[in-house]
Amino acid sequence: MANTMGRSFLQAAATSEEVAPPLRVVQIEGLAVLKIIKHCNEFLPSLVTGQLLGLDVGSVLEVTNCFPFPIREEDEEIEADGANYQLEMMRCLREVNVDNNTVGWYQSTLMGSFQTVELIETFMNYQENIRRCVCIVYDPSRSAQGVLALKALKLTDSFMDLYRNNNFTGEKLREKNLSWVDIFEEIPIKVSNSALASAFMTELEPELPVKQCDYDRLKLSTAPYMERNLEFLIDCMEDLSAEQNKFQYYYRNLSRQQAQQQTWLQKRRVENMARKAAGEEPLPEEDPANPIFKPILEPSRVDSYLITNQISNYCNQINGVATQSFNRLYLMKALHED
Amino acid sequence: MASRFWTQGGDSDTEEEEQENSEYEDGSDAEQPAGDNAGATARSRYLRDQASDSDDSDGQHRVIKSARDKRFDEMASTVDQMKNAMKINDWVSLQESFEKINKQLEKVVRVTESVKVPNLYIKALVMLEDFLAQALANKDAKKKMSSSNAKALNSMKQKLKKNNKQYEELIAKYREKPESEDEGAEDEDEDEDEESEAEEDPSKIVMSDEENDDEDDEDEDDRDEEGGGAWQRKTSKKDKLMDKQFMKDPSEITWDIVNKKLKEIVAARGKKGTGRVEQVEQLTFLTRVAKTPAQKLEILFSAISSQFDINPSLLGHMPINVWKKCVGNMLLVLDILEQYPNIVVDDMVEPEENETQKGADYNGTVRVWGNLVAFLERLDSEFFKSLQCIDPYTREYVERLRDEPLFFVIAQNVQDYLERIGDFKAASKVALRRLELVYYKPQEVYDAMRNLAEQTGTEEGLEDGDESEEKQSIEENRGPPVFISIPELVPRKPTFPESSRTLVDALVSHIYSYGDERTKARAMLCDIYHHAIFDEFSIARDLLLMSHLQDGIQLMDISSQILFNRVMAQLGLCAFRAGLIQEAHGCLFELYQGGRVKELLAQGFSQNRYHEKTPEQEKAERRRQMPYHMHINLELLEATHLISAMLLEVPNMAAAAYDPKRKPISKTFRRLLEVNERHTFVGPPENVRDHVMAATRALSKGDCHKAFGVISSLDIWKLLRNRESVLEMVKSKIKEEALRTYLFAYSSCYDTLSLEQLTSMFDLSKAHVHSIVSKMMVMEELQASWDQPTKCIVFHNLEQTRLQSLLFQMADKLIILAENNERAFEARTGGGIEGLPPKRREGMDYATSGASNRWQDNYVSGASQGRQGGGYGGRLGYGGRTGGSAQAGGGFQRDHSGHGSRGAGGYYGGTGRTSYHASALRGAQVEGSAGMVNLSRAGRI
Repeated sequence: MANTMGRSFLQAAATSEEVAPPLRVVQIEGLAVLKIIKHCNEFLPSLVTGQLLGLDVGSVLEVTNCFPFPIREEDEEIEADGANYQLEMMRCLREVNVDNNTVGWYQSTLMGSFQTVELIETFMNYQENIRRCVCIVYDPSRSAQGVLALKALKLTDSFMDLYRNNNFTGEKLREKNLSWVDIFEEIPIKVSNSALASAFMTELEPELPVKQCDYDRLKLSTAPYMERNLEFLIDCMEDLSAEQNKFQYYYRNLSRQQAQQQTWLQKRRVENMARKAAGEEPLPEEDPANPIFKPILEPSRVDSYLITNQISNYCNQINGVATQSFNRLYLMKALHED
Repeated sequence: MASRFWTQGGDSDTEEEEQENSEYEDGSDAEQPAGDNAGATARSRYLRDQASDSDDSDGQHRVIKSARDKRFDEMASTVDQMKNAMKINDWVSLQESFEKINKQLEKVVRVTESVKVPNLYIKALVMLEDFLAQALANKDAKKKMSSSNAKALNSMKQKLKKNNKQYEELIAKYREKPESEDEGAEDEDEDEDEESEAEEDPSKIVMSDEENDDEDDEDEDDRDEEGGGAWQRKTSKKDKLMDKQFMKDPSEITWDIVNKKLKEIVAARGKKGTGRVEQVEQLTFLTRVAKTPAQKLEILFSAISSQFDINPSLLGHMPINVWKKCVGNMLLVLDILEQYPNIVVDDMVEPEENETQKGADYNGTVRVWGNLVAFLERLDSEFFKSLQCIDPYTREYVERLRDEPLFFVIAQNVQDYLERIGDFKAASKVALRRLELVYYKPQEVYDAMRNLAEQTGTEEGLEDGDESEEKQSIEENRGPPVFISIPELVPRKPTFPESSRTLVDALVSHIYSYGDERTKARAMLCDIYHHAIFDEFSIARDLLLMSHLQDGIQLMDISSQILFNRVMAQLGLCAFRAGLIQEAHGCLFELYQGGRVKELLAQGFSQNRYHEKTPEQEKAERRRQMPYHMHINLELLEATHLISAMLLEVPNMAAAAYDPKRKPISKTFRRLLEVNERHTFVGPPENVRDHVMAATRALSKGDCHKAFGVISSLDIWKLLRNRESVLEMVKSKIKEEALRTYLFAYSSCYDTLSLEQLTSMFDLSKAHVHSIVSKMMVMEELQASWDQPTKCIVFHNLEQTRLQSLLFQMADKLIILAENNERAFEARTGGGIEGLPPKRREGMDYATSGASNRWQDNYVSGASQGRQGGGYGGRLGYGGRTGGSAQAGGGFQRDHSGHGSRGAGGYYGGTGRTSYHASALRGAQVEGSAGMVNLSRAGRI
């Protein structure tokens, strides 16, 4: 263990000077996973967050430990307390010789509804201090169906650039060739345990080939989950329609303005012709003072991108659940027939 | 002070008072100096006393002025004020100062005990006079003055004149002594002065009397008495006036004299000094001495118009006796016109000067200025106004209502006359006035009016005859005999056809053929109203729909809009009586939407807390009010509205429990119900609303007997003519709706339900229950079927699961999204949103108004799936191309066109398809919520 640690330190020191290789894998300790799951499940209806600690080793980001944040309340003072708590916690962990290098944060989510502007903003905040950070999203409701719903996310670099400059116009997005898929990047997670722990687990493993999560997977009632998902999906669709309307409105205004500009230009040209004939200086064809040349602010596309992401997320979830449920139903049917 | 007076003895006191009085009265009587003299002696003593008093106190430090000095100082300061005011030409303050100085003068005189008015005062007067003359001479400046200033100037002029008369000599003396000023102007002034005094005095007082009590209409009786008093005083006066000219010798009176006098009187009309009542009297007198019928007519016309003038304010109404006299005059006019057909009444041409000189034997047409229709309309509106003003709970109101036949006679006669001379347009206007008197009367009231007209026609005719004869005899004793006597040619009794329907029909058909737009529209409304009263709902409704009045009513004048509202209310009542609940609700709910029924029907004011009305608005509203006897009973109306809303809404609410998409039928009712349900304790019902709410509670539990019990305990039912049948109708309706509600609410609790059970529960016949339940099944409101042999309803309890309903919502959203994408795409490719073909846009409307419609359409043409695949699906398939977000939509549509399904879209498509087939099998359906129906159908197969 100490050996690997030392190596990774060396590696980290070595790579910091070079161009950082892209992040390939998030390697997470079993302990951290269990802590995350415990924390998230205990506070289930409300959403919680916590700090991830670990090391950045080349293309692998190791998450070795984590600690929860106290439940946040909307208050300035308490937020300051939160920061203090965080520092204090880090100090304490250092004292017991735990990795105290922040590599990101984890949060629980409800039905995968995590793609929000807040998430992006937090990311940007973290990104300022830590070059490589990830967000690990844990979905307790999905986990209840027998899957380990753990996801490691990061923002793509191109998106971050755009976001920093805050110009999400259609033009720029096309230039960068950035579509809604390219906001988040999911990084595969590898759960690693120390050899000792693995051995202990093998020792503990019962004789039965079926585990608890397999039973979970066989649950027939998927309706509530589907319903929730659909509800969220519908909400998202509504939001998307609203966004659509915003854009339609914008385009309508834009085309109207363009038409106005055209007529104005035409008039100006005719006027200029006349002036030319009269031997006068032609007037400029641009008039910045004219209100019709004032550019109309294009609505930001971040929201619609996020919503689209969210929708696709829901769709995937529904797809997955539906396929599984169909399988189960067919299985049941076959069993009944027998 | 008082103690001093007492020491003086009572003498001086009384003297003083007397003096004061005379001062106040402004009388220019010669007694005053004498009185003053007496007072002066008394006061000299008093003054001496006072002087000694002040002497006593001289020893002290305080400088105490004698009262006399004080008064003089005050006066002097006032004079200074006046001077200042003169400098800035401020007549308002000048007027105030003048009044002040007059008061001070009294005090000074009292103090100084002198006979002589202080020089200071006289000086001020002279100064004022000069300044006044100067101001009056300077016309330009006068024009420039502000209105209040100018007013003050005028009143100042008059006051000064009156005042100065007392001191004429002194002023003259003063003028001679200190400086001689332009006397000429002053003289003129004084001449004028006298003239105006002579003219003004008595009539002005009477006038102001009249005006005062015209303004406050409240104590009619008092006013009548007073008016009568004034009238008598004036007759004597007028007689004096008239007698001067006409009592000489009847034969001496010529057309010229009468004409001259008429001109004189007419010229005086509207002037300030002319008493309105007096003028009427003079004119009536003149009518008797008129030389030719045409002249008589002319005089009568001016008499009528001056009778209209008697009441100056817009709010008050014409005194009733004057109104009656006016009616008499109108009848006389008609008599003349009847007898001399060659006389033409016209208000367009200015008649020649001596047109009326042409005698009775003249054969050509004689044109006389006048407008019968205008007079008649004015009479009508005065009648209307008087009914608005009189308290409807008094006997007076009833008395006034009895005058209706009187008006009817004239209207009838005028109409006959106009028709005779071929002026149909005007006749139609008159017909409308008549119609508006009749249209709201049900047959009973109409009969009563007819009887009244017949009875009083004879009685009153006699009475009137007696009265007029008496009066005439009295007058004849005094004046010369009437030169032109006209026999009563025109009928004095209105004729009414047997039923009001015939009358209305006749009037209406006349108006339809000759009237202008507004007249026609109003006539149409009256006609509809009348039909509605007579329980002919279908005719009334057809008339309303055919006339398209609903479309244009917003553009019409307010009184027509009120009439329209009344018509709608009456139509609603009629529909309710006929048992057409849906229609009744349709007619009434708009009236009750804003909670301003009273205002809309012009039957009172509704207080609006949120914005105050301006006084003008309030006045205008007051002028629009309907007289009490034309009111539609608001309680009955409310009950009708609420009951019909209840009958529609309760089953709707029960059904909506499972279908959130269902819209409330009556929002007003819902709101009331919510308010009612918020109450913690529900007391016994008190008003109409409470009753209906109590009934609603019972009905929503399916308890029809209790519901009906509550409803029938309302005491407004006695207002209905066919009370029994209406109640019977209400009862059966309540039973029906209770049954429907019960089925909606509790069908999920039953597997089967026997017909007997239902018939016994709701006390309905088997056939009835069967028909209602079958209808509900057909309308897809009830998922059930009949089991014929056992006479049971078998329920198919197939509720939509939440997932399914969500799926439908989802599909709606998807369609909207796809449509939006399509639009965006078209805008991008240059189609332009404005340039969309109308058909496409129609489709969008559908989409936004809820996709169920769209689905519906497809079901109707459900069998032709190929067409859908080609057209509809193809078009929406677009969405698939535009982006990932619409992929689901695309998939869903693709499924239609027969391609394989994939992903989420395919999933929805799958469920959708089965239901499609189901409905295609069952054929087109009529109504109901598409989503729910189809899913359950799918399940059933």
